[in-house]
Amino acid sequence: MKSVMPDMQPMNQTVQETPQFRVLTEDQIEQIYFAALDVLERIGSRVHHDEALKLFRSSGDAVVSEDKRVRVPASLVERALKSYPRKITLKGRNGKRSVALQKDHVYFGTGSDLPFTYDRKTGERRRTTYKDVVDAGRIVDYLDQYDFFMSHGIVGDAPNPQTYDRHQFMAMLEGCTKPMVVTSVDGEGLEDLWKMACVLQGGEEEFRLNPMFVAYIEPISPLTNDVTAVEKLLFAAEKGIPAMYTPCPSSGATAPATIAGMLVQSLAETLLAIVLCHLKKPGMPLIMGGVTTVMDMRTTTYSYGAPELSLASAANTDISKWLKLIMFSTGGCSDSKCLDEQAAIESTISNLTAFLSGANLVHDVGYIDSGVNASLESLVMNNEIIGMVRQVGKGVKTDEEHLALKVIDEVGPGGEFVTHDHTYEHWREWFLPKLMDRSDWETWNNEGAKSMSERIDEETQRILDTHEPLPIDDAAKKELKAIIDAAEKRHS
Amino acid sequence: MAVDLGKMSDLLIAGKVEDVSNMVQEAIDDGMDSSEILQGGLIAGMDVVGQRFKACEMYIPEVLRSAKAMSAGMIKLRPLLIESGAKTAGTFVIGTVKGDLHDIGKNLVAMMFEGAGFNVVNLGIDLDTQVFVDAVKEHKPELLGMSALLTTTMPRMGEVINALKEAGIRDQVKIMVGGAPVTDEYAKEIGADIYGANAASSVDKGREALGD
Ligand code: B1M
Repeated sequence: MKSVMPDMQPMNQTVQETPQFRVLTEDQIEQIYFAALDVLERIGSRVHHDEALKLFRSSGDAVVSEDKRVRVPASLVERALKSYPRKITLKGRNGKRSVALQKDHVYFGTGSDLPFTYDRKTGERRRTTYKDVVDAGRIVDYLDQYDFFMSHGIVGDAPNPQTYDRHQFMAMLEGCTKPMVVTSVDGEGLEDLWKMACVLQGGEEEFRLNPMFVAYIEPISPLTNDVTAVEKLLFAAEKGIPAMYTPCPSSGATAPATIAGMLVQSLAETLLAIVLCHLKKPGMPLIMGGVTTVMDMRTTTYSYGAPELSLASAANTDISKWLKLIMFSTGGCSDSKCLDEQAAIESTISNLTAFLSGANLVHDVGYIDSGVNASLESLVMNNEIIGMVRQVGKGVKTDEEHLALKVIDEVGPGGEFVTHDHTYEHWREWFLPKLMDRSDWETWNNEGAKSMSERIDEETQRILDTHEPLPIDDAAKKELKAIIDAAEKRHS
Repeated sequence: MAVDLGKMSDLLIAGKVEDVSNMVQEAIDDGMDSSEILQGGLIAGMDVVGQRFKACEMYIPEVLRSAKAMSAGMIKLRPLLIESGAKTAGTFVIGTVKGDLHDIGKNLVAMMFEGAGFNVVNLGIDLDTQVFVDAVKEHKPELLGMSALLTTTMPRMGEVINALKEAGIRDQVKIMVGGAPVTDEYAKEIGADIYGANAASSVDKGREALGD
């Protein structure tokens, strides 16, 4: 095709493949980073775990005080930082290596452990069960915008609080074939989940190359590391299980009321884990994280809908990229008690911001009631939101084909584009709404005058009625059950 | 010149911790009746704080500053009030149950009770059942509070209540429970007296249950 444009090879052009979004400049990131290093040198972080304290002591660099505070010199932090992988690829039990965690690749998924489920039909909430977790899994398995699954709900009907995580993982596996992020009770729990995953991935070695999940682990802000969290971290390091150490500070309550201060503190919390895992086993796949938000000063709620959550999280992602660490972030969640306009607004803002920031694993999608209520309908709504958000992320192409000068020429003044080949070729690049209604008044009325809310309910029901995930074969199921039974026996 | 209790209230509302403490001392030195200082100065001020909080004119950081002023005043007043046999708000023992490390919600409840003039004993987190039982024996509180943020730890609250029964001291205290997975219904199920949904309403409910 002959070029019709007068000058298609201009010099000194900067074109963008995608929109560009950042919150912090490199200088600001450095200010935060150096402040965090200072926190670790001067204030330290308390570690309630003997082996970890031993590792710090025998490092020859870190200093452990009587009150279990660990202080770490910058030199050790910087050495440790060099040892982390910049890429981790997760493979679901469906055999697809579908989540490639690397710089600016964004994946969306649910959150975990919601104690209640909001029932839209009755307007009431009830305790979440095993079946709810399976159902959430099926929804996530079906919907195309979800890349990974966390349990969404907690299996409140599990026989024993000490072993609930094994049952929860089983429910997740039943419902969903995609990669996962898992929560566990303690080190022993994580070990069982890992063994279960190894059954499906073809053994310990295969899991190392094709991990099915990332282990979710958190410190206690401010600057405290409890025994079970550290236990999990050290086990993950030993076995090469991808893990995240994700602080959950609330600005103004468990962290400074300024976003920068909260970022400094949570970075210091992260860096402590960076050093600890390095001492245990250099190079383990550790992921940076953070649910960085504010405590609402009227209600004391840990806010999942505040704009500060989005802003601080995006800033945190900027920091993670500068540190060359993979980032676990937050979006698609709400403080609203039910699935309403508030939930839609808050979910949209955090999804969009997280996506633009380039965070790698965006979790908590579908949370309502500030991380207390589960809602399958919220998962369905967010699928549409994420689809739109990803569309914005595509950016604007400005090559010859996309500038379409030739087409404009051919159609000329007063013509139409609908029947042009160029339209036929390109219109599918657009976002195709599934739940958003763009019909006219008459049609909308004839089709039942359904609100978004009703369409979401129907779609949720339709998925639940029809979607059956790839089953787990019987032999594997037996092995998984044996692991769970053994855990039950140990804890009976 | 007699100490101006209206000014004391204003200082308390403004969260001037040291000024309130000094002024309480002045009033005591002046020979003013301790109940009068409490009612006319401190409680009158906290009542306004409570109203303003409900009207969205004051927020948690300001309320807690006033609560701190209240509690600074109470440190001076409490011995005198006890001596004179005047009715005080009482003692509130609070802690988070075994296996649970969530801290901040429970601390906020404790601070708000301090603001209401209670003598608060904050036991901490991850506490064995026996710690609660011993604390009830030791401090003889009017009110015992337990916090649990996990479905997996909330049954511990029922265990504490049973242990108190076994020790024969269940009826000496009112029991309040709270935390994200706890409900009014659950509180009743395990035999607690009060369910606290958040720090501010817990104080109201606590006072009400103690017949205040
Ligand atoms: C005595 O009378 C009373 C009266 C009123 C009382 C009261 C007592 N106690 C509380 N109240 C009430 O008044 C307070 C003030 O207004 C309020 O207290 P709150 O504590 O609710 O309010 C605070 C001011 C703000 N709220 C909070 O700070 C809690 C917020 C959420 C997000 C939360 C946080 C921050 C944390 N967590 Co956790 N955490 C969640 C929470 C979700 C949620 N929305 O509740 C919840 C509770 N956590 C959960 C989980 C799963 C976990 N957490 C864990 C850890 C943590 C952090 C340490 C990271 C952190 C706490 C840090 C800290 N310093 O406290 C782990 C458990 C650790 C342990 N053993 O305790 C872990 C198990 C995660 C893991 N797998 O590692 C979920 C519960 C699941 C369940 N089993 O029920 C959870 C609902 C979030 C979720 N969906 O995953 C009222 O509840």
